[in-house]
Amino acid sequence: MQITFPHMGYLNIPVYNMLTNLGVNVIEAPPITKKTIELGSLYSPEGVCLPYKVNMGNFLEGIERGADTLVTVCGAGKCRQGFYNTVQKIALREKAPLQFHTINTSENLFKNLYAFLLTVAPNASRFSIVKNIALAIKTLTALDAINTAKNYYGARTKNADTIIDIYKTGMHQLAQCCTFEELRTKQREITNQMQAVAIDGLKEPIKVGLIGELYLLLEPYVNHNIEDLLIKQGVEVNKVVNTGDWAYSQIILRTLGLYNEETAYLKQARPYLNYHIGGDGLKSVGTALWYTRHHYDGIIHLYPFGCMPEIVAQYALKNISKDYNTPMLALSIDEHASDVGIITRLEAFIDCLKRKEKQ
Amino acid sequence: MDVHVGIPRAMLYHEFGNLWTSFFENLGIPVTVSKETNQQILDRGIALAIDESCLPLKIYLGHVESLLPKCTHLFIPRIVSYHPGFFLCAKFAGLPDVVRNTFNIPHDQLITPNIENKSLVTQVKSIHTICQALGISIASGYLSYHQAKNSWKSNLTSPILGPKIAVIGHSYLLNDAFFCRDILSLLSKRGITIITPEHIPSKILYQESTASQSDIYWQLSAKIDGAVRYFSHQPDIQGIIMVSSFACGPDSLLNEYVEHHILKNSSKPYIILNLDEHTGNAGIITRMEAFLDLMDWRL
Repeated sequence: MQITFPHMGYLNIPVYNMLTNLGVNVIEAPPITKKTIELGSLYSPEGVCLPYKVNMGNFLEGIERGADTLVTVCGAGKCRQGFYNTVQKIALREKAPLQFHTINTSENLFKNLYAFLLTVAPNASRFSIVKNIALAIKTLTALDAINTAKNYYGARTKNADTIIDIYKTGMHQLAQCCTFEELRTKQREITNQMQAVAIDGLKEPIKVGLIGELYLLLEPYVNHNIEDLLIKQGVEVNKVVNTGDWAYSQIILRTLGLYNEETAYLKQARPYLNYHIGGDGLKSVGTALWYTRHHYDGIIHLYPFGCMPEIVAQYALKNISKDYNTPMLALSIDEHASDVGIITRLEAFIDCLKRKEKQ
Repeated sequence: MDVHVGIPRAMLYHEFGNLWTSFFENLGIPVTVSKETNQQILDRGIALAIDESCLPLKIYLGHVESLLPKCTHLFIPRIVSYHPGFFLCAKFAGLPDVVRNTFNIPHDQLITPNIENKSLVTQVKSIHTICQALGISIASGYLSYHQAKNSWKSNLTSPILGPKIAVIGHSYLLNDAFFCRDILSLLSKRGITIITPEHIPSKILYQESTASQSDIYWQLSAKIDGAVRYFSHQPDIQGIIMVSSFACGPDSLLNEYVEHHILKNSSKPYIILNLDEHTGNAGIITRMEAFLDLMDWRL
């Protein structure tokens, strides 16, 4: 059995470690490239949203490298994501005999993840499974922390490129860590390195909030490295949604009944959105309001073309932007988006923000 | 000012319209249903909506706007799910918020019952919401609802006999005369009888769809899936035309699913037509003619 899974930001690092630690053979799909997206689109229905196509590309490239078991997460709801798997199977099964594992996110995620690990690693002890899940979450939060640090210090120095380099090597270093203690020290070390570079201490940068659909926010290739683009221009980016936070709240807190995303964001999103609309729509509106109330200079809304919940959210976002006089840029991304189009719009947006601040 | 309720003739009106109108009529409250979709409604809808919205949502907003000058209240229910385990898509879940954000209508002028399941509690709650907005007693509301529901149930057309073509799609597309007029007029010009999922009791459609129950979680998609399954093994169906709209999320995946699991295995000729807001009809007619030629050639 050779397992492969789709990419989403740096999620592959802890997942790979977790599975190999438990003695499972993993074939990691190559990093997302233009070829991945082209290949994925070729085997996808035309009108489906971008994450489907990229996942499909990951699977196909993983299969090319010899994978025969595919793992993915899915959850039924109002959004399309829960239906991905059923339709992806159709095209993939024609290529090769494959096994599918779906981890359902709409129920108890910890239980489902545990059950999945138990099936693929029958020889692993229960303790090592739980420990590896915990370690994976810790790795994710450490990665989140250095990403947030990169966004913070990168915007406050002229040497943003150096900070990004530290971040990239930091990611590899964290990937090698195999104890909680190691992770903690390494994370502190990397953050300190960044702090040392950002010693030139420029003035308070412009702050931009990043909101939108989970996958687009977390996968840098698909969102055209928007965070790095922004910090290179001296703009601090903040995103409420981080991979680790998401995994932690979904796997641990929700299982213990301590966290309910719906009620948490419903409170924030009123009066612009009064109901849950599936996917990340409510979260987008909630966080947009949070940013405006915390006096961010601008908001960037990222979503895949045709995303149903995000389109409903757009109706609310349009009004939030108007009522609070907060500039907002909506970037709808599909498989044809080229870097140039995104960069031009971002630059224009940042120029607007800078001019507004001067006035 | 006298109370006057407006209901947009779009989206789920085509599914529950009779129930809604007779409910308000039983209460003795004047109801206006917006006119059939026309070019003006479409144009206004396109202008009001976010560009990427699906066609039915754009039309919906056009209908809402056409009602604004006439009515004191608008009936915009939020229907998320009414069969256990099934959902409706995000657009339905966000419908009241979309309307509120687009038109800035005061809260008390929108009647937005929230339906998240079929339970009695939800029904009573919804009636309560409506009665409160209109300032009438909940007892009379419940009575009218009961009457309306009873008369609604016995509302089914008789089956059509003889060879025919099945036209399958969301009821809000098929029943919207503006969108399907080219398809329907071309078929009737050729003397072809058509049948739609509306002619079949929903119960049968959902029963058919149990074969794909573990896969599909959208209510309306399950109905379409059931219709395709049902029609594909009826001997008097000569062909199947699937109609869906551009940017419809569920359809983008369901069409692929249905094509692979049902249509390819059946002997029926089929075509999938995608509608959008461009009203030039040459594209649709050409595709339809090619399909009909193929069907004739095959029989």
